[in-house]
Amino acid sequence: MDAAFALLVLTLIKATPLLYASLGGVLSERSGVVNIGLEGMLVAGAFFGVVGSYASGNAIVGAICGVLAATLLAALFAFVVTRFALDQIVAGTGINIAAIGAAAYGLVIVFGQPGASHEVAALGRAGEAVLIGFAIVLAIVLQLVIDRTPWGLRVRACGENPAAAAAAGIDPLRTRFIAVTIGGAVAGLGGVFLSLGELDLYSDGMTAGRGFIALAAVIFGRWNPLGALGASLFFGFFAALQYTLQRSGVPSELMQALPYLAALVALAGFAGRVRAPAADGVPYVK
Amino acid sequence: MSRLPRGVRDAVLAVTLVFVVGSIAMLVAHASPLVGFGALFSGALGSPSELGETLVQTTALLFPALGITIAFRAGLFNIGAEGQLVLGGLTAGYVAAALPLPGVAAIPIVLLAGALGGGVWGALAGFLKARFGANEVIATLMLNVIAALLATYIVNGPFKMNGATAGETASIPHGSWLPTLIPDTRLTIAFIIALIVAALVRFMLARTVFGYELRAAGDAPEAAKRAGVDLSRTALVAMSLSGAIAGLGGAAIVLGVLHRFNTALSPGYGFIAIAVALVGNLDPLFVTIAAFAFGVLQSGALSMQSEAQVPKDVVAIIEGVVIIALAGRRYFSRGSDR
Repeated sequence: MDAAFALLVLTLIKATPLLYASLGGVLSERSGVVNIGLEGMLVAGAFFGVVGSYASGNAIVGAICGVLAATLLAALFAFVVTRFALDQIVAGTGINIAAIGAAAYGLVIVFGQPGASHEVAALGRAGEAVLIGFAIVLAIVLQLVIDRTPWGLRVRACGENPAAAAAAGIDPLRTRFIAVTIGGAVAGLGGVFLSLGELDLYSDGMTAGRGFIALAAVIFGRWNPLGALGASLFFGFFAALQYTLQRSGVPSELMQALPYLAALVALAGFAGRVRAPAADGVPYVK
Repeated sequence: MSRLPRGVRDAVLAVTLVFVVGSIAMLVAHASPLVGFGALFSGALGSPSELGETLVQTTALLFPALGITIAFRAGLFNIGAEGQLVLGGLTAGYVAAALPLPGVAAIPIVLLAGALGGGVWGALAGFLKARFGANEVIATLMLNVIAALLATYIVNGPFKMNGATAGETASIPHGSWLPTLIPDTRLTIAFIIALIVAALVRFMLARTVFGYELRAAGDAPEAAKRAGVDLSRTALVAMSLSGAIAGLGGAAIVLGVLHRFNTALSPGYGFIAIAVALVGNLDPLFVTIAAFAFGVLQSGALSMQSEAQVPKDVVAIIEGVVIIALAGRRYFSRGSDR
């Protein structure tokens, strides 16, 4: 029983950063912007969360800094892919490379050492639990917002057919900008969870490709917040299981590969029909 | 400016950004940009051995960049060069260490094995795209991570070689190493091979029927289809070829630089190569020049760090910003294809 409970807790801990990142991804993609830069936004949240906490001595101030940094990065990405109609895939790849490089650079500048930051004031057990709970609530709220509110309808319209949305008086560029930016803020919380919730420091490579697993979760969750919740829990469960099974001889690499394999299977249509928003990834030009 | 050809404008923009972004980052680190860039350039070009190391980096970037060039010209966003390079290196490492053939005879076989390993990995994404319409961006991103995990598993797991340290294959017999071009450097004939591949890719794209079909599929898929181009087949072949060239690059690192496969084989060459291909305007000639420019950044970064106290990661920031700045070109008419 204790083991099962421990596995459940670990599943939630492993699922939470994926959930934040994939919710950010869902919001962005439903508006028609593929956000490859989620990994970079996790990095921004995680790194600046620690920097903020280090500078202020307060973990909550740190968390706010982390979210703000990820929001700014997302706003920059959103700006260039909407106003300049830059290619979303290429720009997102650049965001990742620049963000990971900037965090490595920043470690040396702020903490005077490469590799990892000092230990800083963290959110602690209570803060971790709050962030886990908030992620789940957020998934439900976002599902309702996307399905049931006028703003959600506008976001979906821009993701499916921006020209028609524009004809109906919606500004697709503005709507996409807002959706991607809010999505970045949400993804930033995932980064904060990693550095200040699970741990109390930032180290190079700590996001470990979670931004890419989140992209997989978006697809596996069929571009729905609740689907992303299910996919994140599924992936989180296998990540947790990997710790539990570490000594049982099941190779951890194969377990780690599971989310990615699952996403490939889903992409290829083996898990039922998967359909992205029709205008997902297509720049809109007035 | 606006009269200049697009490629020239992009190159000017990229070079400007390198200095502006680099200078800002150096000033943030309380270092003089003059000293920082001075150390970077003298560390990359200051002596024959430093130039040799720069060309080693050039070679490592040129292979995946040429692979990416083929895929992008075909309208396929191959973000998977990193995984293709790793798998090419892995295959090459195993074949080279296990092959009973002595010496130089092993080299072509090992290179081919690398191309095959990378090619299969590229073909997988191409197949998913051609057969099931799976978006190649996401597929190649997933395959990158799977490749890294697979390599870690194979090298450390049941296929661990006798006498190999963790994360590596056994070392390759000295006789099968690629011959060096400049004594006492790591620069080998891999550089020459990369230049030959660049010439071949340029010829293929410009002068062959397949190259024409490939470009047609990238520029105007609907028209190409109506003119009888088999888009599925083009996607499959382009992705296989793209992966094979990246895989060849992995094999070249294994045979020429590391003399074994190591899971830390690539510091992200496959991603930086995206910038290289874009700066080079997807033309193999200019991609080669761009690979040299990025090779200078890569190889000068360490001397900049030790001599000017500028963390070497400034290079990654510069590369990321250059990629974003060059994302403006409409590469191909992409519809929704998921």
